[in-house]
Amino acid sequence: MKPTKVLLVDDEVEFASALSERLRLRNYDAKALYHAEDAMATIMKDKPDVVLLDLKMPGIDGIEVLKAIKKFDITIKVIILSGQGDREIADEGIKVGAFDYVMKPVDIGEIITKIEQAKKSR
Amino acid sequence: MIKKLASFLKGLFHPHDYFSILSRDRYKSLKIRIVLIDAMLSLLPLFIVVTISYFWFQHILKEDFRNQVKWQIENTTQSIEFFIDEKVSALRFLASSYTFEQLSDQKMLTDIFRKFEKEFPGLVDLGVIDSNGIQQSYAGPYPLTGKDYSNQEWFNEVVVRNVYVSDVFMGYRRLPHFAIAVKKDCPENRTFCIIRATIDMKTLKRFASNINLRENDDAFVINHDGILQTPSQFHGNVLERFSLPSLPSLQGGSVLDIKEPGGGRAIFGYEPIENSPWILVSIIKSTPYSRIPKIFRNELLLIGIGSVLIGVAVTFLMAQTVVNRIKKADQETEDAMAKAEQASKLASIGRLAAGVAHEINNPLAIINEKAGLVKDLLELSGDVKDKEKLLALINGIFDSVNRCSTITHRLLGFARRMEATHEVLDLNDIVKEVIGFLEKEILFRNIRLELNLAEGLPKIESDKGQLQQVFLNIINNAVDAIEEGGLIEVSTRVKDKNTVLVSIRDTGSGIPKDKLKSIFEPFYTTKEKGEGTGLGLFISYGIIKKLGGIVLVESEVNKGTTFTVELPISAEAV
Repeated sequence: MKPTKVLLVDDEVEFASALSERLRLRNYDAKALYHAEDAMATIMKDKPDVVLLDLKMPGIDGIEVLKAIKKFDITIKVIILSGQGDREIADEGIKVGAFDYVMKPVDIGEIITKIEQAKKSR
Repeated sequence: MIKKLASFLKGLFHPHDYFSILSRDRYKSLKIRIVLIDAMLSLLPLFIVVTISYFWFQHILKEDFRNQVKWQIENTTQSIEFFIDEKVSALRFLASSYTFEQLSDQKMLTDIFRKFEKEFPGLVDLGVIDSNGIQQSYAGPYPLTGKDYSNQEWFNEVVVRNVYVSDVFMGYRRLPHFAIAVKKDCPENRTFCIIRATIDMKTLKRFASNINLRENDDAFVINHDGILQTPSQFHGNVLERFSLPSLPSLQGGSVLDIKEPGGGRAIFGYEPIENSPWILVSIIKSTPYSRIPKIFRNELLLIGIGSVLIGVAVTFLMAQTVVNRIKKADQETEDAMAKAEQASKLASIGRLAAGVAHEINNPLAIINEKAGLVKDLLELSGDVKDKEKLLALINGIFDSVNRCSTITHRLLGFARRMEATHEVLDLNDIVKEVIGFLEKEILFRNIRLELNLAEGLPKIESDKGQLQQVFLNIINNAVDAIEEGGLIEVSTRVKDKNTVLVSIRDTGSGIPKDKLKSIFEPFYTTKEKGEGTGLGLFISYGIIKKLGGIVLVESEVNKGTTFTVELPISAEAV
């Protein structure tokens, strides 16, 4: 079985690199992206199963990125990476089509569960 | 003296200059000031009126008495004038009724004298003197026939003036007396004669003593040279000089106030007696009018003291009331200021805390992932030295991350703009539910629980979940604060038509006064390290504030603490 393709979009390099590596150790085809501007091109090229998306990034509207992903391919599942206190944005993301959200700091067990759920729901 | 008074008065109106020295308690000084100003304002006019009345009354009485004295002097003067007129008329009648020859007849003159003596008391003798000044005939007790009066002053006077009343003198008789002489013209032999009557000074004295005299008073007659014509009680005997320093010129009659040589004051009344060389004098030292004011004064004093006592009492009560009200108003303002200050302080602390939490959250996420990665790698690698220990250490990092995460989660969750839901709720039900959560612990700790939930409490529009969180928090704190066997009393009641309240009272250790103001601040906790985040009351306070209510706390060390949560009945008020 092909490993699940996960794309991590988060400007926090240290966080995103570590998390993506942990996911790879768990046999996910995980890739981290630190610039939201590159996100759409990569998504179109790689067509990931699940995108872990930080909605609060400098210089870019996360919600717009989310909308663009859903417009490109509605089957790509987006899980929002939310900082504490950003629940409003997370809720808004859910409204425009995100699958779920997780709160940072992220519990690896919780995120794997949610990725699996997202994949199943495709 | 005036300067002192001025600075005192200034002090009344500018208390900081004067009364701050007297009293450190500004309310006490305010009270003193109000009492003094009020007493001054109300009692000063009273004093002025009483004083003026007193002196006016005294003045009127004195004036009245002076008028009495004047009236008496005038009356007596008139009596003396009438007496003299009568004598002059009688002598004139004699002169016109009899010829010189008839009057020169000793026997005839004696007859006339006898008749006159009966009619005129005080008449000493009667004589007829010819134009050469020789007494031709004489009727009286002394042998004075043939006496030559031509050199005497009165003889010359009567020749010029036709009628003459003499001063009192001793004369040949060595007894004080005065003479009345009338000139009779005899045109037939171109000559004249004089009819002369002498009258005892005692007659004049009797008139003077008719004046109503009291002890220390004096009334007598003097001539225009100030020689006493009748004896006086205090101012010399007859024919002595009457002396009174700074005597006014005795023209016309008057009643004056004078200073006696002894220093006392007296009323000095005098009136010239017409057709005579005399002045009637009365010196009144007694002051009968001063006795009446004494009664008046006592009454005034009684009324005055009564008014002062009542005035001071009323002023004092008034000042007390005013000062108490000011004190209460100040206290309320102070409380309101303290509350407002606390609210704004908590709000800014809240914002700060949320900002800090947000900034910490990202590094926290990185620590979490890095530690996780280390753990993953460790687990995947084969035998590594101290592998188990390293894994335990990483788990320690996870525990700490979780603890931090709990705090940031709560802080940010609270700081988040909360869309409070507004359902219609029964406050009593919420309290019962919260008690339900804690029942086991309460039973276990052997804590007595009293519920005094008001029946028919109006339903409120509020957020159930958030209220539960608040009550849970406060009751939980109460449970922690009390020893076994302590009491927690939860009661609900209506405060006013817009507000209901829940009060949670415990008989626990209480909160010291200096710590009471900090309990709503974040991270303030008295619990053991690691047991509480110190955010419970901070968040409760924020929640209740957002719901339009207020949290109040009262506490006494070793007696217990009462938290009161006031909530609006209608959400519209929020």
